[in-house]
Amino acid sequence: MDQVDVLFLREAFTRQGIMLSFNGPFSATLIEEIGKALRKYMEGLAESASAVTDVFSAYIELSQNIRHYAAARGVSGPDAEATIIVSRDDTGHYVVNAGNVVLHEDGAALEARIGALAVMDKSELKAAFKAQMRQPRDPAARSGAGLGLIDLARRASRPLACNLKPLDEGHAFFSLRVVI
Amino acid sequence: MNDLAIAATDSTPAVRSDWAAGRLEMTGDSYPENSFELFQPVLDWLDAYLAEGTRPLALELQLLYLNTSSVRAMMDIFDALQNAHETGRAVSVTWRYDRDNERVAELAAEFKEDYTFPFDIVPKA
Repeated sequence: MDQVDVLFLREAFTRQGIMLSFNGPFSATLIEEIGKALRKYMEGLAESASAVTDVFSAYIELSQNIRHYAAARGVSGPDAEATIIVSRDDTGHYVVNAGNVVLHEDGAALEARIGALAVMDKSELKAAFKAQMRQPRDPAARSGAGLGLIDLARRASRPLACNLKPLDEGHAFFSLRVVI
Repeated sequence: MNDLAIAATDSTPAVRSDWAAGRLEMTGDSYPENSFELFQPVLDWLDAYLAEGTRPLALELQLLYLNTSSVRAMMDIFDALQNAHETGRAVSVTWRYDRDNERVAELAAEFKEDYTFPFDIVPKA
């Protein structure tokens, strides 16, 4: 393995305004611990309670979605890992990015769903949230992303943006960006 | 039915019920990965209480941040209250929140829109 170039990483982190990043396998406990640290850090910046809640919420929904997806698909090892990055852009907006390995068809379905949410205004998103909440619960559902994605879209100041990069015949890397 | 006395954790609220007084309280954050594990005993207690007698029920909430699966589970709790209300039972919700945390007030207000029983959203001083 190459030696880790700490300075290179530091400069990349600084340039992109990255406050927190995580890459690898993660447990429910680790999600909570990182989340607590994120909250404390933001409170230390004297952010409003609403901003802290929105960023924390985006982080929790994204990481729990990835955990639910891995569990529902029965994947483990590198395919169950997640990459989560919280940053602040040069206009002061907090940005939460998350990515994980998905099956091609699941990635395509997510892309379509995010495309549909991207054209909705706030009141349409609210109606979609309430309608989704009333859907019968399906324990065998592939992902818990039903309500989560709509909630992310509602907290975001810009439409959700996603990216799907093919990795091999069956898999792609799906990433989602939420600008608070 | 035994009363509930569930201690809060980082990601789950404290839950306390008082069958004799007709009161159910939930206080804290709620963002467990599996909300139904947490909420099922609460729903079971509520269903049992509402199935017996005609005494009123007061649901006292000081919930802060809820993940979407907790929001979904709270809907089941409010639905149970709504059903009881429609049969003439006296049920009420009081949701207290810190004045500077407007996201809590917004969430509570969105729930309130869907129900007709007394639903008070009260800012704490």
